[in-house]
Amino acid sequence: MIPSLALSFFAAAALLAGFGRRLRRTAVWLALAPSVAAAATLLAHAPRVLDGEPVRESISWVPSLGVSLEFSLDGAALAMGLVVSLVGAAILAYTVWYQRDPIPLLGRLNLFAGAMFGLTVSDNLFGLFVFWELTTIVSYSLIAYDDRSPDARKAGVHALFVTALGGLVMLVGFVVLGTEAGTYRISEIAAAPPSGPAVTAALALVLAGVLTKSAQVPFHGWLPAAMAAPTPASAFLHAATMVKAGVFLAIRLAPVAMGNDVWQGVLLTAGIATMAVGGWAALRERDLKRILAYGTVAQLGLLTVLAASEATVAASVALLLAHAGFKAALFMVVGSIDKATGTRDIRELGGLRRTLPGTWVVAVAAAASMAGIPLTLGFVAKEAALDALLAASPAIAAAVAAGAVLTVAYTTRILGVFWGPERTAPSSSPAPGMTAAAALLAAAGVAFGIAPGPVEALSGSAARAAGAAAVALPAWPGPKPALWLSLGSLAAGWLAALLPIGPRRGTAAASAAFDATVDGVLGFARRATAVLQNGSLPVYLAVILATVVAVPGAALVTAAASPAGLVPAESWLQAAVGAAAAAAAVGLLALRNRLGAILLLGVVGYGMAGLFALQGAPDLALTQVLVETVTLVVFALVLGRLPERFDRPARPAVGAPIRVALALAVGVFVTGAMLSAAAGRADAPVSEAYLERSLDEGYGRNVVNVILTDFRALDTFGEIAVVATAAIGVAGLAAGIRGRSER
Amino acid sequence: MSAPSLPIRRRSTALLVPPILVVAAYLLFAGHNRPGGGFVGGLVAGLALALAHASDGPGAVRRITRVAPTTLLGAGLVIAGIAGAGGWLGGGFLDGGAVELTLPVFGTVKAASATLFDTGVFAVVAGMVGLVLESLSGEETPS
Amino acid sequence: MTLLLPVLAGVLFAGGTYLVLTRALARILVGLALLAHGANLLLLSAGGRAGAPAFIGEAGAPETAADPLPQALALTAIVITFAVTAFLAALAARAHHLTGSDAVEDDVEDRRVARSTPEGTS
Repeated sequence: MIPSLALSFFAAAALLAGFGRRLRRTAVWLALAPSVAAAATLLAHAPRVLDGEPVRESISWVPSLGVSLEFSLDGAALAMGLVVSLVGAAILAYTVWYQRDPIPLLGRLNLFAGAMFGLTVSDNLFGLFVFWELTTIVSYSLIAYDDRSPDARKAGVHALFVTALGGLVMLVGFVVLGTEAGTYRISEIAAAPPSGPAVTAALALVLAGVLTKSAQVPFHGWLPAAMAAPTPASAFLHAATMVKAGVFLAIRLAPVAMGNDVWQGVLLTAGIATMAVGGWAALRERDLKRILAYGTVAQLGLLTVLAASEATVAASVALLLAHAGFKAALFMVVGSIDKATGTRDIRELGGLRRTLPGTWVVAVAAAASMAGIPLTLGFVAKEAALDALLAASPAIAAAVAAGAVLTVAYTTRILGVFWGPERTAPSSSPAPGMTAAAALLAAAGVAFGIAPGPVEALSGSAARAAGAAAVALPAWPGPKPALWLSLGSLAAGWLAALLPIGPRRGTAAASAAFDATVDGVLGFARRATAVLQNGSLPVYLAVILATVVAVPGAALVTAAASPAGLVPAESWLQAAVGAAAAAAAVGLLALRNRLGAILLLGVVGYGMAGLFALQGAPDLALTQVLVETVTLVVFALVLGRLPERFDRPARPAVGAPIRVALALAVGVFVTGAMLSAAAGRADAPVSEAYLERSLDEGYGRNVVNVILTDFRALDTFGEIAVVATAAIGVAGLAAGIRGRSER
Repeated sequence: MSAPSLPIRRRSTALLVPPILVVAAYLLFAGHNRPGGGFVGGLVAGLALALAHASDGPGAVRRITRVAPTTLLGAGLVIAGIAGAGGWLGGGFLDGGAVELTLPVFGTVKAASATLFDTGVFAVVAGMVGLVLESLSGEETPS
Repeated sequence: MTLLLPVLAGVLFAGGTYLVLTRALARILVGLALLAHGANLLLLSAGGRAGAPAFIGEAGAPETAADPLPQALALTAIVITFAVTAFLAALAARAHHLTGSDAVEDDVEDRRVARSTPEGTS
């Protein structure tokens, strides 16, 4: 049931891509259907899950390797899955009116929703990784959705680089973690968490994935750049769901990771730094969407801090839900403003309270939740977080309160566009559907702020699944230190909004750092290519051969051995034939006359045939004689097309001394390797079995032929395919010559 | 190679080529028990083609093979493939099998699937030599 | 095993290496042929001492039979070497036809990349 929900998103995406335009209005319902179905299914399962009975499913994938796809719907997955389906449904509905040609975007958003849903319910580290990377790839295609804009493409690549790189490092961590735990099933790892230095190393590697995906300092630069995406995609991926994946994973791995000092230290440090950097950068932005993006960075920092400690896990889930609602709503508001007025610059906007009243109401409700005004879910969640932090670590509580000051300040800046004198007048008003979709999410933030019961149950269940305690989420906490801290930061934030913090000049440091890194890598690649790939095939060959001689050759020097029973030669005849072949081979080196070379090569070849015959290989000798003869004919044919003597190129690629030295080294290496290999023989040759089985199983007395046509027939089949291919290649090359000479 | 129609040479190849081809066929079918096999037989057949080509010039190869060398290549691969697929009847791909047949003239003949496979090898090798000869001497190879 | 076969293989490899490092395709062709002969000898000598042909008589295989497996490997290698040799010969003929020489020239594109400064993009 659970995996089929993820599949239904993919199916909808495929149908939209294939038939979307023909389906017209039906396409809209098709795009919304999987989200609605997923939400309904999750809500149907919710009572059981909230009672602490996760729904687990397993599909055998590669039974022989013991690999299966495992899914689990526990508290955390339920919370995240509801965000994906419910917030996703609102955003998809918004897209229908927002986007001029919504079908392709709806398809890709469904593709993303499927990947994100799969990530949410995966109970296997590898399954989670696959869906994790799938969200990265779909995110790339959504950021670069406007594929004719160079900025959008660059932003897409930026996000892809950072998150995919983090994901790869994380995969290594998963492998180590799974090996240490003896299972890759997350619920089993959580039930019996492994420990030790290897686990610490694994967690450190997993952190790379967590920090990049959730846009934590110093990897946060990709998220503001990703604002090149269409606004619904930003609302869905870069506010509500995908960027939460890192925090979600941290909660999932909490039973293993929570007590780990490295894990907690990195999460707290990165989270607090991200809160500060994101909040400050939001104040310096003038573009509404980028303000929201930096605000998201800051909020992700806060979530990371909360996900690091046992006492605040429940609060982090509550805040995750609250943030998904209000930030998606605010993105929709910004999209509506952008569509109505044609600008997102707060300096060009004002007085929208009167011209866009519906949008204004939604914005105020959502912003209230973001700023943490009482009677909103944002307030309830932040209050619970501060309460728990004050008891556990007042220093972190102070940092969170400072972050809240920045949040209130930039929220005030955003709301400023609705007040004051009118500047850019809207040319149209947003479609009612757009306002309604945003209003739903904003209203949910207020409703759960007044009656936080369901969120309390959900966050408590998620926290218990993560091995932490549930916390109470009262709508009104009463006069406690946390309340004074909250109200104080509200007031301070409102005052801070009045400070004249100027706009940023030039590009952001994080973006510049990414550009410098990419340029550096490309520059290094270019220099390395210039040195290593200089265009001369003989030089490449010389490098390869020198490596062969140097590396395995060095091993050979230390392990050289002589096989037992070594004799100089089988017979005088063998020695004579061998000497003739060797002499012909050496003669070939000096000869520049082509006809002479061909004849000497023939001497070597027939010499080989003689050696084969003396060795007890009549088939081989026969084949060699025949091949040598046909080769002579072929050479005679080609010779007519070539000059009589070898061309002497003006400039040899590899100097003669190097050639001679390398040739001697390769020769010695080959002889030495052969002798040492023979000395190293430990087992009886497999051919003994062939000799015994040839007649009974291969029905033949010629063992060599039986090997070729029966025991190793698949190899032979491949070899005749190679022969056929080479012959067709010869025909192709020769046809080119004919074609030219005829013209 | 400029005089492709010297009568004496023609007659000598006409005399020589058929016996060589018979030898090639013998090597192919005897190869499972005695020296020979598809590779050797194919090369001997190729040698007959080379001989005819050297003495009779362009067109000689085609007069012997009757079909385009590429057809021979393809047919060889198909035959070998069929011989291998026949193994599915028994164990797996390329699993050998044999039947004893009693024929009027030859007496008891063991028909091993390996012989069929070797026939494919034979055709590929002979076709390869034919194709190389034809294309390197500048003949058209219409398919 | 005999000393002769590995030593002869070494000589063939040395000669082949020397020739494939030159620029003339025809000499490279000869070099590859030498390398192939050397490789076949290596296969054969891996089978140990010389022996009787590996045929099964009425009384089974002779005790002194040579190892048939390297022979089977070398047999296909010989045929494939012929196909590759023919291919290279055709390549040399075509190169000579197109450029008037059968020398292996440096890759123009690679030279251009090598010459360009790190900042100089395409």
